[in-house]
Order: sequence, then C-alpha cells, then structure tokens
Amino acid sequence: MIYQPPSGARDLLPLDVAQKCWIEQRLQQVFNCWSYQRIITPTLERLDTLMAGGAIQPETVIQLRDAEEAILGLRPELTASIARAAVTRMAGVTYPQRLYYNANIFRQTQDSYSSQQEFFQAGVELLGCSGLLADAEILLLLADCLDSLGLQRWHLILGEAELTRSLLADFPLPLREQVRHSIAQLDRVALEALSLSPQLQQRALFLLDLRGKPGDVLQRVGGLDLAPAQRLVLNNLKSLVEVLGERFSLTLDLSLIQTFDYYTGLVFEAVIDTESGVQVLGKGGRYDQLLSLYHPQGQLVPGIGFALNIEDLHQVLLPTAQLPQQTPASDWLVVPEDEQAISAAFTYAQHLRAEAKRVEIDLVPRTTESIWEYARQHRIPQIAWVSADGSPRIIAPPA
Amino acid sequence: MLTIALPKGALLKDSIRLLKSIGLDFSGFLEPANRQLQVFDATGTAKAFLVRTQDVPVYVEYGQAQLGVVGYDVLREKQPQVAQLMDLRFGRCRLSVAVKQSSSYRSALELPAHSRVASKFTYCAHAYFRDLDLPVEIIPLYGSVELGPITGMSAAIVDLVSTGQTLRENGLVELDVLFESTARLIAHPLSYRLDSYRLHHWVEQLRSATVTT
Repeated sequence: MIYQPPSGARDLLPLDVAQKCWIEQRLQQVFNCWSYQRIITPTLERLDTLMAGGAIQPETVIQLRDAEEAILGLRPELTASIARAAVTRMAGVTYPQRLYYNANIFRQTQDSYSSQQEFFQAGVELLGCSGLLADAEILLLLADCLDSLGLQRWHLILGEAELTRSLLADFPLPLREQVRHSIAQLDRVALEALSLSPQLQQRALFLLDLRGKPGDVLQRVGGLDLAPAQRLVLNNLKSLVEVLGERFSLTLDLSLIQTFDYYTGLVFEAVIDTESGVQVLGKGGRYDQLLSLYHPQGQLVPGIGFALNIEDLHQVLLPTAQLPQQTPASDWLVVPEDEQAISAAFTYAQHLRAEAKRVEIDLVPRTTESIWEYARQHRIPQIAWVSADGSPRIIAPPA
Repeated sequence: MLTIALPKGALLKDSIRLLKSIGLDFSGFLEPANRQLQVFDATGTAKAFLVRTQDVPVYVEYGQAQLGVVGYDVLREKQPQVAQLMDLRFGRCRLSVAVKQSSSYRSALELPAHSRVASKFTYCAHAYFRDLDLPVEIIPLYGSVELGPITGMSAAIVDLVSTGQTLRENGLVELDVLFESTARLIAHPLSYRLDSYRLHHWVEQLRSATVTT
C-alpha cells in the first residue's frame, strides 16, 4: 500500500517553505510598517457565511458536514471570514480597523484533473473608512508589498465598479445583465448581437473598450452626459490618480467589472509580464455592502482590501534568484567525545544557541573523517568536540 | 512578440488570408511540405503557431498566444475564459441533431427517452437535451460520428454540418439545429486589457479588413 496525498494536494518541503517564508516575511514587514494587525480566522466556516457576499458559488467550495449536519466549507478566500469576525466578534471597536492575514485557502475545481486545491494568500482589509484617503492607502500599500519583493515591471489595472454600474443603468432592464456579462467577459461578439438601439449599441461598445492611460480614460468618461453623483465618483477617481502619481504603471479600465454585485467602488488587479505571459499576482477592491450582511443590525461598515497569491509570487520570483536557493545550514556541529561527554555536549550546544547560533548535535558515533565529510556536505563551518569535563576542541572541517 | 494561435484544418486558409491582408504573412503553413509548428512573419512583428482547433482557445486562455482564430462551436463546447472580439464570418457551419433517413423521427423531441446520442460535442449535446428535458445517453466519439446510427449504436448524432453532403451520402437526415457557427477572433483577456504588443491596434486592423472584404 502506498499512501498518496489526495489529488490536488501538495507537500511543501523545507526549501519550498524557506522560499515561501522569504516572501511572507517581507509582506508581513510591510503590513506591520503600515500598522496593520494580524487576524486569524477559522479554516472552516459555515457555507452560508462564505457565500453571503454573492461572489462564491457553492460548487467551488470543498464542503463538509458537522455533527449537527450543518454544511461547512473550507474557506475559498478570507474576506468573508474577516467581515463576519469584525462585525460580530469585534463589536464596539473603533474604526478604522487595519487587519492583515497570511493563510491557506481551498478551491474545488471541477473540470481539470488534479489541479491544485490548496493555496496560500496574504492580504489586508481596511474596515470602517471610505473615501480617497483609504483608497489611496490600500493601493500604495499594495505597491509597497510588491516593491518589497523586488518585483519589477508589475502593473495595476484599476476599475471603478460603482461608476461602471451607474453607466450600465442606461440599458433597459432585461438586457442590462447581458450587457454587463458581455462587458465583464470582454465578449464583443455577444454585445453586437444584442438587440439594442444604435445609440445604446454604441454606448455598450464604448464601455467595452473604456480603458487605457488614466488621463485619456478620465477625459473620455468626462465627455459623457453624467449625473451629479457620477460626476462625484469621477472626480474622486481623478483625485486618486493624482495622488498615485507616477508611483507605478497604471491602466484605468472601466470594463473591469464582475458579473455579480460584490465590489462597490474601486476594483483592481496587480499583474506582471513574465516570459511565459502576463500573470495576475493579486486582486482587490472596495466592498461597502459586505459587512452589513454579517452585522446583526445590518449596519453599514465600509471596507476595502486585497489578497496576494503566494504561489503566483513564488513562481514569478523563482527565476530571479532572489529566493533562498538552499535551506539555512547549521553554524555548529557539536560532537560528544565519548558517552560520558553527552551531557557536557548538550550544555555546550545550549551555550552556543544562546548566541542565536544554529547548532546541531552529532547523533551517530563515527570516525573523525566521516564527521568532516558530514560537515562539508551540510555546509557546517565549525565543529566542536566536547569532552566529559566540558572543554571544547574547536576545528573547522578541512576543505 | 505578438503571438497568434491558428487552427489546423478548414479555417486555416481563410485565417492566413485575413492576416495577410493586414500585413502579417504566415503562408508558410500552407506549403504542402510544411512541418513547422511555428512561423515568424517576415517583418518580425509577430509569430503564429499551428495547433489543433480544440487547442487554440487553450493557448489563448493561458496567454501563450494573445490572439487566436477558432470556430464558435469549439468555444461553445470548451467554454474557455477568452475574449471574443470578432465574428470573422468564414467557416460557416451548424451543430445539428441528425438521425437515419429511414427513421420516423422528424424532431429531436420525438426521440424516445434514454436514447443513445453519439457526438464529438458532448458538452453541447448534453446541455441541449437537458434543456429539452429529454434524458439521453451521450456517447463520446472522436471521428466518423455518422457510423453511430448506421451501426445501430445510437439513435441520433449531434455533429457539425456545413453542406449536408456527408449526412446525405451516409443516409442521415438533419433534424434540429443547436446553433450556427463561424470563425471567431479570440484574445487573452488580460493581454487585451493591457494592450500588450499593441493588441488593440491589430484587432482594429482586422476589423476594418473584415468590413471591406
């Protein structure tokens, strides 16, 4: 009998872990510098908690049942859990709440064989604040995260779900969902096949390709006949683009929308151009309705956040040789001279560890030559032979 | 470099003609002795690779090709996450239900419940009969689907029909049309959003070339 992991599961061996930690530690350092606090929520949630926001389909969640037959799911993302925890468990806290996480998520994939099911994400949620400052903080924090990893040529695609939704309100109701769906999927052929008046047809095609350099796009939208509320959103977007300045490469894309109502303001994707094509590194957006769904009194609490995909970052960083190429070696190998020296060897090793050294005890009685060989293979620079009286003989293995 | 996935088979000639009209020449693929999988255009702007028609949307979905030409039938069957930018209006055909000429069925709805239906398009066939609320057994085949009813293995087939000649020659008759299909220009959504390799420019060129022909 050979025990295999379930298809789609993977083991992370020590070098994988060292590389993953390299990424996570840099991100956590940035989160800490921006004064975000770590939150840990359960891996398992009730399925209805996970699905409340409308962005998660049940068939994409790995499901289980608890003892009372309630349907549970392995979390496919963190925002639902954090929203639930924030409004129910952290009642009475003052806003803003700045929270970050570093956790595993799970996705059920139907159609492809043995595709990955467990992923890791690091991200933030900024709760209780809306407006230009909060939006700018999140985007600049995202930029800081990607810069801390030494990534070059990354790029932000930025949309405004509220503005796009309001521009879609001109379409008659039975067709509006199809127009929105076609724009979200960039399906121009379907859009052209809808029975729309020439004027609305033109508007739909305008929205489908409403992207490019921020200044150009703002100007194109500004040329439309906008209501005061739309004008306000547009002006906020303009101010945000000014605040961001030349900090990173930015495409404004007002066709970047979902087919469901989840995001209520900014929506964005950080992408990078690699040799194997363009790749998404993380996504986020503003969700001002979500927390009220979990709040006992339905109170509105605005929120914005993003999640970075650790595997995607890992894959992009791997060829750059920034990641550790080896697991860290021990600084010392401590060898008891004989059986009487064991206790002294442990004491001496502990004394070295107090100086924050990596110390390993030699566990196998063997010849001096084979100890040297072992130390060379494991890149251990110093060996201490300890005698029963506790005195060490310190030797570097001969090259 | 701008990379285009082109389908082997019926759509290749028209695809190459269209790309040539905007200055991207991949006619190397049409030479009878060609065994190359990848051809660069003479100006060094773009390259194309030649793959099975079902694989075109795969390369485009994963972003190894930014553009591709593929039949709408393949998009309906595989449901890839790609941007459908243009109806190229060649390669016209339809996905239809067909039965033996000698059978009494004159509509798919007349097929008895739990009939066997042979098809290369199992996803489309399954969805069609599910929407008709008619339970059938779909038998996947990979070629010469017409043999299904001839041998008696299946009561009907769901297959592509262009002129109908193959059906007639094999004593089959077309009943219902699931949908009409033509060649489509598809793009990798993220590359399209980022306008990588001036994608938008090339798509607009193709659009005006299609309008004038």
